[in-house]
Amino acid sequence: MILSHFTALLVFALFVSTVFALITKNEPREQFRYGVFVFLSFLAVAFVVGWIMYPLPL
Amino acid sequence: MDQPNSHVQSTAGELKKMNMATTIAICGGGWLIPGLAHILIGRWIRGAIFAACVLLMFAFGLAMHGKLYDLEFDEPLHVFAFIANIGTGLPYWIAGKLNLGIGTMTWASYDYGTTYLWVCGLLNYLIVLDAFDIAQGRKP
Repeated sequence: MILSHFTALLVFALFVSTVFALITKNEPREQFRYGVFVFLSFLAVAFVVGWIMYPLPL
Repeated sequence: MDQPNSHVQSTAGELKKMNMATTIAICGGGWLIPGLAHILIGRWIRGAIFAACVLLMFAFGLAMHGKLYDLEFDEPLHVFAFIANIGTGLPYWIAGKLNLGIGTMTWASYDYGTTYLWVCGLLNYLIVLDAFDIAQGRKP
């Protein structure tokens, strides 16, 4: 199986944010909001770090 | 004032706290089979979601040609990867018996697959600790 880097990131963020939300919050509404927050945070950090690394000669 | 560890609210609404031996047995089961601890406590939906997340991550990791680490004393830093991998429990040993998780470094998704395999094990440790807290009445 070959996923693109972005798809692999999306799937990873989805699973991890789901587990984090269920572990840290108790009410379904809180779990959903926290899960979405963690998921979007994963994406935002990936974009920011990606653009920071873009000009580096790696 | 309530003692913080004095009770747990079950799904039926009554308050109870499991004894330590039962709690450890449940947590052991949850380590071997991801999600089982929550199912045994009575949190069916939560346990099913945890099981799906961990097992799907494990399957994705193997499908992406990730590597499962064994205990190797000549490579001391691999111990940390091994500890992360065995967090998955029985699926780790089953994959080893089936010769899966050998890892193909030249495969494009090798790094992602290996990371998936580490993280699903580490998530299962957190899930077991969550089950321990619930069984001991430290969280609802």
